[in-house]
Amino acid sequence: MMRSLFHFPWRTAQRIDADVDDELHFHLAMLVEQLVTRGLTPEQARAEAVRRFGDMEDARRYLQRFDRGTEAARRRTEFVGELRHDAGYALRTLRGAPAFTLTALLTLALGIGANTAIFSVVHGVLMKPLPFPQPEQLVRIWSASKATGALQAAVSPVDLDDWRAQRKVFTDIGGYWYTEGGSGIDMTGEGDPRRLSAAFVEPGFFPTLGVQPALGRLPREDEMHRGGPDHVVVLSYSFWRRQFSGAASVVGRTLTLGGDPYEVLGVMPRDFHYPADRIDIYIPYATIPDHAIPRLRQDRVLDVVARLRPGVSIERGRAEMAAITGRLSEQYAEDRTWTSATVEPLLDVIVGGARSGILVLVGAVAFVLLLACANLASLLLARASVRERELAVRSALGAGRARLVRQLLTESLVLALLGGALGVVLGLFSMRALVAMGAEQLPRAAEIQLDPAVLGFALALSVATGLIFGLVPALRVTATDLQTALRDGGRGSSGTQGQRMRAVLVVAEVAVAVVLVVAAGLMTRSFLRLLRVDLGFRPDHVLVVNYTIGTQHQGTEAQMRNFYTDVLDRVRALPGVVAAGAAKELPFRNSGERMAFVPEGMVVPAGTESPTAHVIHVSDGYFNALGVPVVAGREFRRGDDSQVPLVVVVNEAFAQRFFPGRAAVGRTLAGFSEQPTPIIGVVGNVRQESVEEPSTPAVYIHNLQNTRVQTNLVIRTRGEPLAMAGAVQRAIWSIDRDQTITSVFTLSSARGDAVARPRLLTTLLSLFGALGLLLGGIGLYGVLAYFVLHRRREIGVRVALGADAGRVQRMVVARGLSLAGAGILAGLAGALVLTRFMRGVLFGVGTTDLPTFAGVTVTLLGVAFLASWIPARRASRVDPMITMRAE
Amino acid sequence: MAGQSLDLLQGTLDVLVLRTLLWGEMHGYAVSRWIHDRTDGVIEIEDAALYKALHRLERAGAIEAAWGLSENNRRARYYHLTRRGRQQLRVGESTWRRYAEAVAKVLEPA
Repeated sequence: MMRSLFHFPWRTAQRIDADVDDELHFHLAMLVEQLVTRGLTPEQARAEAVRRFGDMEDARRYLQRFDRGTEAARRRTEFVGELRHDAGYALRTLRGAPAFTLTALLTLALGIGANTAIFSVVHGVLMKPLPFPQPEQLVRIWSASKATGALQAAVSPVDLDDWRAQRKVFTDIGGYWYTEGGSGIDMTGEGDPRRLSAAFVEPGFFPTLGVQPALGRLPREDEMHRGGPDHVVVLSYSFWRRQFSGAASVVGRTLTLGGDPYEVLGVMPRDFHYPADRIDIYIPYATIPDHAIPRLRQDRVLDVVARLRPGVSIERGRAEMAAITGRLSEQYAEDRTWTSATVEPLLDVIVGGARSGILVLVGAVAFVLLLACANLASLLLARASVRERELAVRSALGAGRARLVRQLLTESLVLALLGGALGVVLGLFSMRALVAMGAEQLPRAAEIQLDPAVLGFALALSVATGLIFGLVPALRVTATDLQTALRDGGRGSSGTQGQRMRAVLVVAEVAVAVVLVVAAGLMTRSFLRLLRVDLGFRPDHVLVVNYTIGTQHQGTEAQMRNFYTDVLDRVRALPGVVAAGAAKELPFRNSGERMAFVPEGMVVPAGTESPTAHVIHVSDGYFNALGVPVVAGREFRRGDDSQVPLVVVVNEAFAQRFFPGRAAVGRTLAGFSEQPTPIIGVVGNVRQESVEEPSTPAVYIHNLQNTRVQTNLVIRTRGEPLAMAGAVQRAIWSIDRDQTITSVFTLSSARGDAVARPRLLTTLLSLFGALGLLLGGIGLYGVLAYFVLHRRREIGVRVALGADAGRVQRMVVARGLSLAGAGILAGLAGALVLTRFMRGVLFGVGTTDLPTFAGVTVTLLGVAFLASWIPARRASRVDPMITMRAE
Repeated sequence: MAGQSLDLLQGTLDVLVLRTLLWGEMHGYAVSRWIHDRTDGVIEIEDAALYKALHRLERAGAIEAAWGLSENNRRARYYHLTRRGRQQLRVGESTWRRYAEAVAKVLEPA
């Protein structure tokens, strides 16, 4: 009965064995004694006793083993029982302190949730290997011209053939031509004619990536060469599902693309999204006719991906490419300036611009976790001083140290696990929201999943924090004199010590909050700058309709001109259209073709390069429709076409660079055609490349003087631009029902897309900044609230001695502000060091931007004042009689 | 008892041990003696089997053990019934009685 009530020390294995031996010896001894009384000699008695017992040795071993099992089972039962008891007790205790429990749980959930979400993004985007076999061997290669500074230029298909033929350390080299909304082909005979998004691939493309099709087969080498049986296509998985409902019978079927029959060879696997998500089909590049893109050495259109041989370093790949391009540049006049190549790991290129932003977020979110842990520690310390008395009482009543420690451990564990569970839920939701918000800005968004490693890490960290600081009261109570704790009247022996520790923690919290808020402030200011950038055109009320002029209109120049102008005329005649024009290269989407030229009066010394500029193909009325001011001369008009000599319009950047201080209009440029080309007008600078990049010198050419089939109709509308989309489409189809339309969008949305990544970053950093303020504020409030509680007797005395409410309030607020002040100073110093890692994501704002730092200081002081004022008010309401009686 | 089915042997032995301990706390030797005397030596239990039964019942929670001093001042392991043991005894006893009655009915001359 005793064992079930009190805790006996557990028996060791040796003890168990000895007990069994003793028990059996006792039995034998008793039996021998009895037999001797019956007249047997001791020897006879002993032999008889052993005989009667049976197999004694077997029984002994059996009992010893059996009893050890019994002991272990008993321990387990008892442990589980105590654990259940402790957990129940912990839950009751936590429920008894709802304010503490809720704050702690919320803190944990926010810290774990935010970290899990952000680190899942990091893992999916930056760390997970690409979905190709041996992805670390994959690289991107560009042609490079050190002379012109073009280090990542597209590659000529003719050069690519030579690279492939001369390669030694590369398993294969593959080229492809894909531009969003640019590379495509019309499909007819499958319902309405429609434009498919296509990647035109060279023979090395599929072997380089090393991916097998989900269905059917990939093209053979001979099917990808010009003149070979090259009218074959491979479908992307999503296109196959959408267009053919995933029917396997699609393999071997014939599709009509660009008016010609193509055989479907196979379907790519579901996770194959290279080079982009939106690709419908893969077509041999060889099928592109010369009149579309001539296969000439100087025409550089391809992106190139290559696979290094196993074990070959990227440096050896670079060395080989440098050797090959060096040889080619000596051999061919067209390659004279293209003396080298740039080779970069594929993963780096895909992740590209997203990396710096993601890393900033990682830093910020790690700080949030730090803050959450500090806050939790502070909360637990405050609770510790309350608990100490309770524990001292229990200890005095005979509870062992180990038992108390286990009780507190259980409590912390229960708290941490509950918080962790909430954090996981929060993390899952925020990750989904993040992916939804950032799907267009994040490369590899489809690969982002809740990462168990991250979850485990955040959880482990929180549990560790919970355990360490949860144990403080137990360690204190058992380490210091219990009597002191009891005599101390409930304030706890460690009251002052705990206070000091919490003060340090709260200073750290405020410092971390400052860093977070500074980061958010810098990013916000940078984003506002970005929004205020003068784009050089008015993006509002502009509808863009993107299409590629069908092959049916490309027969003769007259056909092409008629279709081009007919469309413009019909669209302009639509009610609600203010103005309309067209351009091959739309701002933020395409920066134009780079061309070399010589401005009038300039002598290019032998051995140096002619200057280059971006050439943009536009229609008459384009500048008017876009809202770009004509600074000098005139813009294009209908008569500037292939029937008359070439004329160009340049932007102000061009005029200032090449004709500084002089009128550019009337000057000529050599290099565009046989005759010197006159400049007929100068227009304002347009941000063509991106919102961030300042305008570079640009030359505009009338699209009918240098025909391009890519067309973006730019339509300025009176009302909501998208409402005009149907009318514009019908206008185009009234001329030709078979003309496909690639995409329809507003210029405002294109501008929005162009700043979407900084917007996402701003949103998230602001969120973390707000979280920092909240957690820091709670931390400060908690410390001061406890400070008031702890000193209420002193405050009571002061009030009794005639101190007025204002004075008491000032005392508490001063305490709060001095703590916050220390934190702010430390935080500002930290921010000065840390914000330099944000340089890559900031626009137009320095990393030590004074207004931001000043603003943050004021904000933090404001929050600190608020967090101090509430406890201060409570302090000033202290009734001296009540507080003194309470002691 | 050799040749009897193990089930019967074990179940019977358990009932006998529990029934014996109903008289009060006893060490293993006393249990063995008591059963021997009570059945006039008809039921001869091998001591090895008895101790295995005692330890098995201990793990099952039917009996508990504690060290004490024997009548001749030796350290002995004493066993006593628990509440669960009494319950088990009641069930075992009635099962055994029914069994014995059934056997008796078969053996009675018709």
